[in-house]
Amino acid sequence: MALWAAPAGAQQIEPQEFVLDNGMKFLLLPKTGDPSVAAGWLAKVGSVNERPGITGISHLFEHMMFKGTHTIGTKNYAEDQAVRERMDAVKADLRLEELKLQERHRRGEIADPADPTHRSPRHRELLEEFNALQQKERDLLVKNEFDRIYTTAGASGMNAGTSQDFTIYFITVPANKLELWFWMESDRLLNPVFREFYSERDVVREERRLRTESTPTGRFQEQFEALFWSASPYHWPVVGWPTDVEQITRDEALAYFDLNYAPNNLVAALAGDFDPAEARRLAEKYFGRLKRNPVDPPPVRTTEVAPVAERRMVAHAETNPQAVVRFLTVAEGHADEPALTVLGALLSGRTGRLYKSLVLDTKVATAAGAAQNAQKWEGYFQLQGTAVPGGRPEGIEEALLAEVAKLQDAPVDARELQKVKNQFAADNYRRLTDKFFLMLQLLLAENTTGWQALNEYPKQLEAVTAEDVQRVARQYLTPETRTVILYYTKKGAAPADPSLQGLSDQERQIVQQMRAQVQKMPIEQATQMLAKIEAEEAGVPDDKKKMVAAIKAILEERVKKGAQP
Amino acid sequence: MTSKSWTRVIPAGALVLCAAMAAAQTPPAVPAHPRDLTYPPLTFTPPDPAAHRHVLGNGVVAFMVEDHELPLVTVGVQIYGGAYLDPKGKEGLASLAGSQMRAGGTETHTAEAFDEEADFLAASISSGFGDTRGSASANFLAKDTDKALALLFEMLRQPRFQQDRLDLAKRQALQAMERRNDSTASIENREWGHLVRGKAHFSTAAATRASIESLTREDLLSFHREVVHPGNFVITVAGDFDTAAMKAKLESAMAGWKAGPRAAAVPKPEFTPAPGLYLVDKPDVNQGRVTLGHLGIQRGHPDEIAIDLMNDILGGSGFTSRIVNRIRSDEGLAYSAGSSFAPGIYYDGVFLVRFQSKSESVARAVQIALDEIARIRTQPVSDEELESVRNSAIETFPRRYQSAGAKVQAFADDEMTGRDPAFWQAYRDRVRAVTVADIQRVAREHLAPDRLVILAVGDTGAMLKGDADRPEFSLETIAGGRVTRIPLPDPMTMVYPDAK
Repeated sequence: MALWAAPAGAQQIEPQEFVLDNGMKFLLLPKTGDPSVAAGWLAKVGSVNERPGITGISHLFEHMMFKGTHTIGTKNYAEDQAVRERMDAVKADLRLEELKLQERHRRGEIADPADPTHRSPRHRELLEEFNALQQKERDLLVKNEFDRIYTTAGASGMNAGTSQDFTIYFITVPANKLELWFWMESDRLLNPVFREFYSERDVVREERRLRTESTPTGRFQEQFEALFWSASPYHWPVVGWPTDVEQITRDEALAYFDLNYAPNNLVAALAGDFDPAEARRLAEKYFGRLKRNPVDPPPVRTTEVAPVAERRMVAHAETNPQAVVRFLTVAEGHADEPALTVLGALLSGRTGRLYKSLVLDTKVATAAGAAQNAQKWEGYFQLQGTAVPGGRPEGIEEALLAEVAKLQDAPVDARELQKVKNQFAADNYRRLTDKFFLMLQLLLAENTTGWQALNEYPKQLEAVTAEDVQRVARQYLTPETRTVILYYTKKGAAPADPSLQGLSDQERQIVQQMRAQVQKMPIEQATQMLAKIEAEEAGVPDDKKKMVAAIKAILEERVKKGAQP
Repeated sequence: MTSKSWTRVIPAGALVLCAAMAAAQTPPAVPAHPRDLTYPPLTFTPPDPAAHRHVLGNGVVAFMVEDHELPLVTVGVQIYGGAYLDPKGKEGLASLAGSQMRAGGTETHTAEAFDEEADFLAASISSGFGDTRGSASANFLAKDTDKALALLFEMLRQPRFQQDRLDLAKRQALQAMERRNDSTASIENREWGHLVRGKAHFSTAAATRASIESLTREDLLSFHREVVHPGNFVITVAGDFDTAAMKAKLESAMAGWKAGPRAAAVPKPEFTPAPGLYLVDKPDVNQGRVTLGHLGIQRGHPDEIAIDLMNDILGGSGFTSRIVNRIRSDEGLAYSAGSSFAPGIYYDGVFLVRFQSKSESVARAVQIALDEIARIRTQPVSDEELESVRNSAIETFPRRYQSAGAKVQAFADDEMTGRDPAFWQAYRDRVRAVTVADIQRVAREHLAPDRLVILAVGDTGAMLKGDADRPEFSLETIAGGRVTRIPLPDPMTMVYPDAK
């Protein structure tokens, strides 16, 4: 079958593996290179393990793990602890006050529950106390000592990440400082202290603004996920719904830690310049102190329900016209995953079918690609394409599906299949070049199918046949399992609209909605409405004058434009 | 919080069992604090570029580092030249010529045939030109060395610049251009460039619909003729090869290729930024993006290392630095915050502080940044702070040479920019020598509060209004009346409406 001999059985990844008595697993992979070690550990918990009300807790938690321990990060642990307990109590009382304001807002009694003028005397008192406590907490802190110790020791790239399926903590340390990693990481698991909890909640809120709310398509992507996953907990964003993140309490975070950060739910990996026997001794000495939780975290219970009809989302955003078509497929480790991965590779890249057809031949698109995305509990296959400027996203959708149909109708030819297999084979070596990436791959594989999959999966890819590809294309890429988003280009924000200057977000929204309505409105109705505003203008309260003026300007423009909407 | 808090989620019976298990283990002695740990010494000598520097028969310098762990080879060709050479009205030429060398085929291979051959070999081949440098590279399996080298040098020597691929690239460039005013991040980068470098400098000269549409295949061919030749090359090779054999292969790949003159020097900007507050309105976002700063130093400045450490303390080393601690950790006002004081290679670089914060807290976060700039100028840093950043610079130094690929890249960078390799031999000693007094002196001499340009992009109404709970922070007060509103330009012409 091979037109060209792929490097069979490319280099194997063979870490030394052991499990401590408390259930924590270690994978050790010595590798030559500069004198440093890439070190990381993974908690088998992510947003998929959350529930409504505490969405975003896995991610918030990840932030809290950098706040120190009993010994790191404080001048006086006992006093620090007392301040924190008082803060939690005050925050709980504050919450009650905020709930009252929200209720008044729901009833329409107040316009903005965050407006400080509505706060009760009790509310103000609590806020003052809280601010004083926060200052006290700050005075007791040794700021970011956890980071400083590592930095001073020459460690670099300390970071962490949360996904739907896992939370991961990693760093690179100089080869002679490996014991420091064992000290620091075991200490934050053994004696964690969630300092600055409430200001960190605000940091996470800013992170959500940065990634989701202040980017051209962030909010659309979030809702697309929510549309695609109906029952599965992949439904909510990793960063959490804003209302949840704002209300998560320290107690909830503690309970979450106890269950999900017990050693029996953790795996660690080292790659680089170190002696495995010494690493094992240190693992036992340091991580051996952690106590197993006799209760294992429960597996995710809710499986996605079988889709019964295609779902669509039509978005107007500041982005290029584009179409995304996503099908429900299989989770990581499923027997059909390799064939779906090959299917994605055949469609993608410079010589893939989508680029050749949509971009080079028919020239309807400027970019196109597809991929199988397998997660721990579910998976999907996604196609996407960007239309040429002024192009129609529906046209892209049709063109993407036409290429899928070709793969369903006829098996791919041998050379085309061999080409993508050659690429997988070369990638088998490329993935071994970087020790940090190796450490990461070990942890991620261990979270789902086990590290052995790193060696098995390439063989499974090599074994995929043209018939397999055709079969999975037919079996999974069916109309009822797909969800589609079409992006239309919203008129750019170009020269900012001066009529919106000085309006609050809410007022702006009202004005913008009004604009959309006015555009569709018969001229008579617009004229009438304008007359009504002119008549009542004088009586408008001062704080609403700007908004009314903006609406008036829209109506005037509409009336001036004449009969044709 | 203690580790025992798991008791509340497990049944009492299990708890007893666990307690028994815990008692059975005798925990080995663990030092009470990491400062009590002792470490074996770690000696590291930076690699000597001269040992890996080869002058090929045609005069081209090649840096080669063998590493036989994996059967992979990466060959890179670094090229003097870049967008600074774009003629007026032809902005986008270097960038397009760079990408089209790879995308547009060669004299003997159509674009389609070239792509197929590279993909079938699973060779990753690329090319491109940035502002001040270009490069082409190929990463491939060692057994394919001859075929991959042939493709790489065919691409470099005889690009076809196939018309349909050029048309596609122009369409893609115009499409990207349409989106110029969409994200606040891209608006911020563009306007910051204008504010510190002016609009006339090559680093901020934007391609327009007219400049992209004017670019022809002949333009690309003539750029290629003038710039892409051995007289502008420095070559890097890393991975599974034999140095002597590779030398011969490179020489034969370039045989008969005449070296032209070295590309002209990179021009310095002639612009003095005007301090003040600059606002760009993007009313549909709820977070403001802020960059504030001024011009800095050029590489080779005697204070280069002290300034770098000073910046690390101020905002350049993540959670160990002051701005991150104050804006992010103390106040929760931003997810990402920090500062940078990178020396420029060809002309003065820029000092800047950058963060993103919800509209109403932008003023407060700006004030904190200003306070921290003032503080590091007027008060000595602590010994501990200096110790942290000094140690970090010394201990992370070996990572600069972490792989064969990193080594040849570091050597080639120094070769092309004229950095004396002795700089790195002395680097750690120079870092060790920096004192608390040095930090304060360079902060005073090189941070200039009266020259600060402050740019904020976001919902200007809400940013100016500030936080009702913290009325003491106001952007207008900070600006002292020097407020300029920058309108959004037409993305295709880059013509700005008259500012009101």
